[in-house]
Amino acid sequence: MTSVPTMSASTETTATSRASFEHGGGGWKLRTKAAPYLFLLPYFVVAAVFFVYPLAYAKKLAFYQTNGPRSRIYVGLDNFKYILTDSDFHLALWNTTFFTICSIFLQLPLSLGLAMLLNTRRGRLKAIFRLAIFAPNLVGQVFVGILFSMLFTPRYGVFNRLLQELIGWGIEQQWLTNPSLVMPAVVIAALWMYVGFNMIYFLAALQNVDQSLIEAARIDGAGPWQLFLNVTIPAIAPVATFVVVTSTIGSFQLFELPYALLQQFNSNRGFGPKNSGMTVVGYLFQQGFVSGDLGMAAAVGWLITIIILIVSLIQIRISSKVGSHK
Amino acid sequence: MNFPQWLNLLHRINPLQWFMISLAMFFLILLPISRRVAVGYARYTLLTVVGAIMLIPFAWLVCASFKDTSVLNEYSFLPPIKEISSATINLDSFRTLFTQRETVQGPVTFWRYIANSIFLASAGTMLSMFFSSMGGYALAKFKFRGRTPILTFMLASMTIPGIVLLAPNFEVIWRLGWLDSYKALLVPACVSVFGIFLYRQAMLMVPDDLIEAGRIDGCGEFRIYMNLVMPLVRPMTGAFCLITFLGTWNSFLAPNIYLQSQNKLPLPVVLNQYIGEYTQQYGVFLAGTLIAIIPPALLFLALQKEFISGLTSGAVKQ
Amino acid sequence: MDFPYGKAPLSILILALLSGAVLMAVAAMSREEGKPDLVFATFVKEQAEAYKPAIEQFEKDNHVKIQVQVVSQQALNDRLQASLQAGADVPDMVELLYGTMGTFTKGPLADVGFADLTDRVKQEGLDQRLVSSRFVMWSSRGHIFALPHDVHPVMLVYRRDLVEQLGIDVNKLTTWDEFCRVGRDIVTKDLDGDGVPDRYMLDLPSDGSDSLRLLLLQRGVSVFNSKGEVTFDDERAVDVVCWYVRQTQGPKKISVTCGWGQTLSRAMIDGRCLFYICPDWRTMQIQADIPSLSGKLAVMPLPAWEPGGLRTSTWGGCGLAITKQCKNPDLAWKLAMYLYYDPNQLGKRFKATNILPPLKEAWSQPEISEPRAFYSGQAIGKLYAALAPQVPTEIITAHNAAAVGRLSEAFTNSCLYYQDHGDDGLRDYVRSELKRCADKMREIIARNRFLNPQADGAKLQTSLNDEHGSIREAASGQMREGDVQ
Repeated sequence: MTSVPTMSASTETTATSRASFEHGGGGWKLRTKAAPYLFLLPYFVVAAVFFVYPLAYAKKLAFYQTNGPRSRIYVGLDNFKYILTDSDFHLALWNTTFFTICSIFLQLPLSLGLAMLLNTRRGRLKAIFRLAIFAPNLVGQVFVGILFSMLFTPRYGVFNRLLQELIGWGIEQQWLTNPSLVMPAVVIAALWMYVGFNMIYFLAALQNVDQSLIEAARIDGAGPWQLFLNVTIPAIAPVATFVVVTSTIGSFQLFELPYALLQQFNSNRGFGPKNSGMTVVGYLFQQGFVSGDLGMAAAVGWLITIIILIVSLIQIRISSKVGSHK
Repeated sequence: MNFPQWLNLLHRINPLQWFMISLAMFFLILLPISRRVAVGYARYTLLTVVGAIMLIPFAWLVCASFKDTSVLNEYSFLPPIKEISSATINLDSFRTLFTQRETVQGPVTFWRYIANSIFLASAGTMLSMFFSSMGGYALAKFKFRGRTPILTFMLASMTIPGIVLLAPNFEVIWRLGWLDSYKALLVPACVSVFGIFLYRQAMLMVPDDLIEAGRIDGCGEFRIYMNLVMPLVRPMTGAFCLITFLGTWNSFLAPNIYLQSQNKLPLPVVLNQYIGEYTQQYGVFLAGTLIAIIPPALLFLALQKEFISGLTSGAVKQ
Repeated sequence: MDFPYGKAPLSILILALLSGAVLMAVAAMSREEGKPDLVFATFVKEQAEAYKPAIEQFEKDNHVKIQVQVVSQQALNDRLQASLQAGADVPDMVELLYGTMGTFTKGPLADVGFADLTDRVKQEGLDQRLVSSRFVMWSSRGHIFALPHDVHPVMLVYRRDLVEQLGIDVNKLTTWDEFCRVGRDIVTKDLDGDGVPDRYMLDLPSDGSDSLRLLLLQRGVSVFNSKGEVTFDDERAVDVVCWYVRQTQGPKKISVTCGWGQTLSRAMIDGRCLFYICPDWRTMQIQADIPSLSGKLAVMPLPAWEPGGLRTSTWGGCGLAITKQCKNPDLAWKLAMYLYYDPNQLGKRFKATNILPPLKEAWSQPEISEPRAFYSGQAIGKLYAALAPQVPTEIITAHNAAAVGRLSEAFTNSCLYYQDHGDDGLRDYVRSELKRCADKMREIIARNRFLNPQADGAKLQTSLNDEHGSIREAASGQMREGDVQ
């Protein structure tokens, strides 16, 4: 955990502040000692009531089969056993993994590419492009879901029509009713929505790259590709780590987008044909709120949490290794 | 006459394809003439194409909300100029949207929902900004017992999807008697762990000497935070406000479950009601979506610069 | 003094204060209204509007105040489920969408948040006066928890003008075999010679969904039997699924997916398909959405699966439940009777909604047999009423959503198989897929320990609110499970 950005900067801070206290009065010391706790008090209260307590409650629930808070039956590890052998959960895991892989290996490189395109010193049009690319983030996931469910309509949807115009294929593609096209449709909608957000992070990082380093490398005769590999990449590595980790966590929590995209026409149908758009959080929602078994939902929640924790730990470990190599 | 096969193929290329091909050709011609100009040209062409792709759904949204529902699917965007009339292009969707509706709580107009959303998003942003920055300050500039465990705990808590806690939280909210009240939405969200982290990162950059100087001048800890530290992390504040405002403005799941009175609902929930089980008023939904985009767009335009420099100073620095 | 957070946050702060002040002022001004005697929640806006005159009359006659809330279906279901479970405030009367009752009855009977209406229904003789099969989808373990609002018989609506142009005699389309034979001729006719069929015979969603289920029902296959067991892996179901796959996939298909809402409107105007599956509620939607088709449409009964077979099915439904928290159940019952089963109301209501009431005596109201110019002068009310008594029984249990999902899984796999292998071994594949999915469903059902308490001697614990009731109910619920209608 300690390898997370900036956690090491603390020791010096305290050394200086302690030194200065020695010639201060006793009253200060006391106030300064209590201050951080007072500053954090709102967090403690909110976290205790709306996070720790529900979490403890959810942990207990995971071992019960419930019908709302009124009745429950202790089932031991049965919920976990069921989930781990349920083909829907496997599908949800696979879909979520697919989505995560797409967002890391498709969306993030695209974001980085766009950020590099935008990262010029000249250019008055920059602000306009930036706005255009960021604009989808102004719209919520639910809106994007419904919007794209209309754009993906076979024959009449704008997406299908443009595809037909551009590459002469796709006017009758049933993006939302063909099980093998559902996840690609979700990825496309998510790509449209999030590529701009991550681009902003990369842009921020690129603008912070030391220009003198680039100049020096240029003078040494480095080509654009070498420049990118040896100067830019190491310089933005911390940002990239941050973006990869947050995108992974975000991808694992994907829910509202496929829900709105696929749920519009029939409340019974769930996540598209054959549940082909099911994600792990969608699975949780279905178990907990559609079928009403909060115990099952709690069990799924714990599994998701464990998976995310492991994956982000691995990512942080890998990126810190890569970082120390350089 | 007998055309060769490839000419036939040429014939099938449509104007849009011709346009894309000519853009590419132009680049190829430019490349040997001047590399610099060619790269610049390619950069702007690519950006324009990407920008256009990103804006197409918006263009469609704008067109669709002004089109009459009878021709919503007839044309991709706007009908050809010949056929533009009040039967194809009109404000019907907006008119329906702003028509006063009878609800349990008496007549409600669309303005009320806009006011609700503005209140929820702005109040939520303010609360979250205030409390999160305080937390961030404590973690950045104080050494105290339990700091590392708190940080670890926060980091771990970020990985837990909110929906895991939705069911148990419903019961907490109910026990507190906050169902159908804005408290249910504002209080749980008034400290964001993400915000505490962003602010902590930004405040690590603030020199300790400044804070010490403040202490020697006899400033209270709260005044140091408020008057010395906060002005220095303004870009971060801009970025955080924008992110939080967008998130609250568009949030759907929590208000959908916690609020019950029709006149308290925010825009996303109300608009979603137009896509019902038996009738789907897409035109009205799209018109409402168009209106719902305006406030966050204005905010983004106002905060654009701070947003980027804020992120630079924040989350991502080591 | 400078605002320490910067300009933009200052403006947001001002915005927050301003909007907060406005909202508080508005709230202070409108605090006059008294508390209503009954709160009535529905998810169908059109129905709420249709009830309005009747509710006003009822308020006047009984000197009470009724609130009608229109809530989106998803929100209604989410909130109701959560509120009933948490014991929070709920409306007194709720209209529910078919298929959702199961989610409220999956626990012990004592946990069902709705009042048991069985005795009241028997007292009023409603089980005789209504199309009795309609009570089944609102019952669990023999107890009725909601009143049926409708029958929803299914017919076909067709483009009369185009069908006549093509020289099709709809009276001869009595079986699906005949229907497909004629359909194949239509689809293969390519008038403009671009290699793409100009018209399709039927609008069938290629993902199965509700249409597959209603065709199964017409064939006599229900997802569940009266004991709540899964029965969709029946030999007749294999027939229907094979038929459906062939009509929606591959080169010989006669159908295409026309979708919903404006997409459907477009397709109907273009005449993309000639025939559309059409329960009574859809006739009003078509009338409202596509006024330009007035006089060009007509309805006919579904073709049967075998000569002389059933020529209708059912799709959808709505039911009225009274919550246990209702303080005045007698008044609520009175309102329910007045709204749902007062023949004098129902004629007018049919004219406004085109939804046929389940109350048989109401079918003689003049509005039901009124000819409709929109449907080429047909008296659609009479046509739907003629089919209503034969409407197949649809059984809905707590596992409905899951079972429908599994059925759709089997169907989708069958489609994929057909795309790869064609007719070769299709039947066997469909049979094994249906069996596999039904078995999976049986496993899920066996897991529910509220409905099968002795499944493995698990200890039943109940919460503090009602200590013993649930245990007893759960045990006795198991015994009663056998006698669902």
